[in-house]
Amino acid sequence: MPDLITTGVEPDADRRLLEALAGWCDRYTPWVAIDPLGAALAEPDAEGRLEACSAGGFGGDAGLLLDVTGCGHLFGPGEAGERALLADLVERLARHDFTCRAALADTAGAAWALARYGERQTDLYCPPHGQREALAALPIDGLRLQTPVLETFLKLGLRRIGDLYALPRGPLARRFGDRPLTRLDQALGRVDEPIEPRRVPPAFRSRLAFAEPIGRPEDIAAATSRLLAALCRQFEQAGVGARKLEIALYRVDGSVDRTGIGTSRPNRDNPRLMKLFEERLGELDPGFGVELMILSAPEVEDWTGAQEPLPDTGTAGASFASMDGTIDLADRLALRLGAENVVRLAPRDSHLPERVQGTAPVSARPAAAGAWARLASMKGARPTRLLQRPEPIDVTALLPDDPPRQFQWRRHAHRIVRVEGPERIADEWWRPRTSGRHAPAHSTPPVRDYYRVEDDDGGRFWLFRDGSHNASTAGGATRWFLHGFCA
Amino acid sequence: MPVISPNAFAPPAAKIAQARVTQGRATQGQVPPTLREQVRRLERAHSLQQAGRLAVPTGLAAIDTLLPEGGLLTGALHEIEAGPTPSGRIAPHDGAALGFAAHLLGRFGQDRPAGTILWCRQPSGVFDAPPYAPALAGWVDPARLLMVTARREEDLFWAMEEGLRTPGIAAVLGETRAADLTAGRRLSLAAEKTGVPALLLRSQPAPPQSVCTTRWRVASAPSPAAAGSEDPVTVQWRLELRRNRFGTPSTEEMPSWLVEWNDETHHLAVVPQARHRSAGPAAAGLGWGDPGRQRLVG
Repeated sequence: MPDLITTGVEPDADRRLLEALAGWCDRYTPWVAIDPLGAALAEPDAEGRLEACSAGGFGGDAGLLLDVTGCGHLFGPGEAGERALLADLVERLARHDFTCRAALADTAGAAWALARYGERQTDLYCPPHGQREALAALPIDGLRLQTPVLETFLKLGLRRIGDLYALPRGPLARRFGDRPLTRLDQALGRVDEPIEPRRVPPAFRSRLAFAEPIGRPEDIAAATSRLLAALCRQFEQAGVGARKLEIALYRVDGSVDRTGIGTSRPNRDNPRLMKLFEERLGELDPGFGVELMILSAPEVEDWTGAQEPLPDTGTAGASFASMDGTIDLADRLALRLGAENVVRLAPRDSHLPERVQGTAPVSARPAAAGAWARLASMKGARPTRLLQRPEPIDVTALLPDDPPRQFQWRRHAHRIVRVEGPERIADEWWRPRTSGRHAPAHSTPPVRDYYRVEDDDGGRFWLFRDGSHNASTAGGATRWFLHGFCA
Repeated sequence: MPVISPNAFAPPAAKIAQARVTQGRATQGQVPPTLREQVRRLERAHSLQQAGRLAVPTGLAAIDTLLPEGGLLTGALHEIEAGPTPSGRIAPHDGAALGFAAHLLGRFGQDRPAGTILWCRQPSGVFDAPPYAPALAGWVDPARLLMVTARREEDLFWAMEEGLRTPGIAAVLGETRAADLTAGRRLSLAAEKTGVPALLLRSQPAPPQSVCTTRWRVASAPSPAAAGSEDPVTVQWRLELRRNRFGTPSTEEMPSWLVEWNDETHHLAVVPQARHRSAGPAAAGLGWGDPGRQRLVG
């Protein structure tokens, strides 16, 4: 065969292509799986060898499985719609130079067998409840069995799937095990066959197809707005709000571009969500044109939003409105800066200065009014700025236990004229120390004596001394740290 | 010397004439105003034309009399910068400026008790010293703060602007080292539109911007008691009003005050001049800022 072209096997490229194709198939249904039926064939046999199978996986015979239940009506009423869907799928793939065979049946097993072994074009569409007749004439290979079993069947003269219909089930199970019967039952729809889709299909989605491909940003924004309106109606009916939304652009060249937004609490307010989307739509690339857009909500939560306040509630209404504004603002900020960069301050019950100030997500209930003030009033003077990590400083003191006289920080000497303290703060013994026996040099000591000092220039600082029992005896000099700046 | 803002010349001629008429009544029988005085009046007239401008008093009567509408205008940009120490060094930190900013935030917060306060800042790695809520609690309830950290300056200004455009926000504060004239103008416009006050906090003096309504320079001042005494640390700040657009002109070119913050009663007060002078030679001898303005001290 002089004309035969050979190329190396590229399993990764095959996988990528198939994944892309599966993504493209989202246009028909959110429920797409990469042929798990063929992969099931590749179970190791009794001797632990992986049986090479003729179909499945990501190789040349790879397949995709689409659950189009309830999707046919988009193409026409009843069976005609399903036929049209099938024809549309094959034709569109052919346009992208993919050779494919697609079959449609009630069960995954029947569709699998028809797509691979159906002989006539008309056989590829199996009408509802017609799989028994449709499968009868197909070769026994259509049952997704492993090669040794198939060879035995052939030796026994069982060539077609229909040949099995008449056989008694008991002896068949004794001779070949459960698998052939299970496969037969699955193909005929007597037994369910759970298959995991590639992406969990969102419960809420809306879809908009265009007669002519669109590409202008304004058109995409308008379409998004329409999709959002439809989705928000679905939310309202189901009593939920979106936490995450995803928009997918199906471009004419067969590729898909997606982007999404997140909200900090369930949201179904169309204008607000649209405002969030406006931030993101700029990132989408319509390519040569978009022929289909799908908006889906991968994550929804029960609607907890506040009711519209009564007109005369006065301040309560105002505080609701202000809360709403804040959350919207936080969502917008979080979209650009990251959710970890937009936080509330949450007080923590601790007497360690660095632990008192925690952060909480914006959606969390804010600390009670006055909680901070109560916390602050129980303690001594606190700095207005606290260093993330206390910085070691050189301190001159008359005696090791005396208050500091002078300290050097970042190559600058500060002569101390006024001192307040010490305030002793010990580690929380009930919390394990991460440092262990050999603490790193910069780690904070377990017992600290804090001083508020003022230097001759009016600068006020918050210093502490390593107050551990053996601090001065072990290493010689007492360790001092700068921990904050006072007002 | 204060920079005359380009806006001073913004009102069209007819309105200037009208402003003169309205101002004329008040100044009858007084000495003819200097040019600087005139410009200030025009600015004030301009501010009065914008109906519904509200102000929140700073709580310091001596200062409020100089400010337009008796306080800091909401819907305007106010700048607070940390000044050099009394000995003229760059201050190692902006504890005092932060305290004053927090005080103003508290005042603005009282004006809108339901609103959230947006605090935007740029983190600076392991040496970062973020504001510490237990101390801020003296001025403003930290539970009302929404802390935003932005890595880039553009993001910081963007976040502030977004905050200013949100109706439910009581005030927006941004900590920045950058002095971006365009960003300042945008913030000022956004604030004007919604009436939300904007504060810019700088850890060190920056080139003056013409867009802000007031600019303050704050530095910590030494405690008044003699050095070495057992008296506790008193929180005192040297406060300088370096720009007061639309405000009443002061007798001094750049008015400054010594204010004291009481940690226990949570009260900010101007230190009376007499007591202030008695602070001793330490305060009087140390020049404030550059030597040319020494006469302002004391």
